[in-house]
Amino acid sequence: MRIPTEASFTSRLRSAAVAARVGLWLGVCFVVALGTGLISHYAQLDRQSVPLPTSPSWLYKLTQGLHVAAGTAAIPLLLVKLWVVFPKLFQPVPRKVREALPTALERGSIAILVSTSLVQLTTGMLNVAQWYPWGFSFRATHYALAFVAVGALLVHIAVKLPIVRDALTGDVDDTTHDRPTARSAGPVSRRAVLTLAGASALGAAFLYTAGTVPGVGRLAALSSRSRKSGVPINRTARSAGVVAAATNADYRLEVAHGSATRALTRDDLVAMEQRTCALPIACVEGWSVTGEWTGVRLRDLLDLVGAPNGRDVRIRSIQTFSASSDTVLPASFADDDRTLMALGLDGETLSIDHGYPVRLIAPDRPGVMQTKWVSRIEVL
Amino acid sequence: MRLARGGLVLVGTAGMAYGAWLLLSRQDLGQIAEVVVWLAAAVVIHDGLLAPAVLGLGWVGGRLLPRPVARGAVTVLVLLGPILLVAVPVVGRFGAKADNPTLLDRDYVQGLVAVAVLCVCAGVAVALGELRSPQRADEEE
Repeated sequence: MRIPTEASFTSRLRSAAVAARVGLWLGVCFVVALGTGLISHYAQLDRQSVPLPTSPSWLYKLTQGLHVAAGTAAIPLLLVKLWVVFPKLFQPVPRKVREALPTALERGSIAILVSTSLVQLTTGMLNVAQWYPWGFSFRATHYALAFVAVGALLVHIAVKLPIVRDALTGDVDDTTHDRPTARSAGPVSRRAVLTLAGASALGAAFLYTAGTVPGVGRLAALSSRSRKSGVPINRTARSAGVVAAATNADYRLEVAHGSATRALTRDDLVAMEQRTCALPIACVEGWSVTGEWTGVRLRDLLDLVGAPNGRDVRIRSIQTFSASSDTVLPASFADDDRTLMALGLDGETLSIDHGYPVRLIAPDRPGVMQTKWVSRIEVL
Repeated sequence: MRLARGGLVLVGTAGMAYGAWLLLSRQDLGQIAEVVVWLAAAVVIHDGLLAPAVLGLGWVGGRLLPRPVARGAVTVLVLLGPILLVAVPVVGRFGAKADNPTLLDRDYVQGLVAVAVLCVCAGVAVALGELRSPQRADEEE
């Protein structure tokens, strides 16, 4: 079999007019994913110089839902985009060094763009299904490669800007920037390719990420989560290794402010004023479900040890080895009336997998930071 | 225009450099090496396996199928192809955990079959639409 050249690809569908349009949508998906991803990364920092807002309580749910949906929608778009530009892979390299160098740099940046984009979309998609066939840190890698991918995308846009501008302002059937050999009519029109790519993107995003959206979640046939059993669970008590400690009669919730400390049993907490609040668990994996949480207002507990308003609070869990076992709650969250140390969910006693004996639930916070099996509250 | 392009190259290069630094400074050597393997494997699998497979389908389809059927086949391929890839992690249930019934809590095979049937119906509708309006083919020439 001989190696194809650019001229071997004769379909008029492989045109800059198509590539620029699919590329534009892909760019929108990447920008949405980057922006919402940065928000999520920032929300998970232990110390935020400017804390994220506590209201509206559904803001993180929205941004992280968009993050996962945009990433999934980008998968069909990227595949179509790569199909359209595939002949470029077989472009000859110029002989002269002066011409070859810019070409090599451009192709290098394309290689980086393609490989980081494929890896970002794949690892993000696998993370949603909690499948980790790798030894590197998902969070650190996904964060680092995001800058590489978007950086390479900006260089790519810079190189192609004149053609992109021409293509986007011209008609979709315009052939100005087409290769002379790309003349054969495909089985479908260029418009049809764009329609199909858009439909495929929306379809994939809906099927894979809309599983917990009220009303339509049941139809999202490929979603890893649903609302069937109420608020889904990410880490069970057994996998966190907390079952014995969480059910032990010696359990106490410690509240500490300097030398002032209190140790409360679960019964002590139940005897305090109970409040109910509807707040979502919004996971980094994109799903979110709102529950009716009942429990003691965190501010009431802070008052027991005489903590003034405006202080950050450290929340520790019985669980010791995970990122969520020791987090800092910014003062604006700690003082918010909706922030509860929850004892019940949807009218029932909190189950051990949801964080029995007591868990944190605060508005507009990533689910991973809503600490379960809380053992100690420290005023900072 | 020249300024905008220069600015984009500058910001883009800075972004790549920052990302590379993040990648190299936050994990141990073994982990970094595995990321590099993934980056290389992604290109090899796409350019060396997936893309040639789709090219092969296009080549065979273009020669064997009459135009209306080819239209339907392209419709099915673009709608269903990416969805089949996206379905791999959930249909395979690779991340399932025995103690967590709230994860991967659907019948994904059944769901995927239903989606595939819908995509094939869309393809058939497109093919039939083409058969009924032969003048559309003339317009596009």
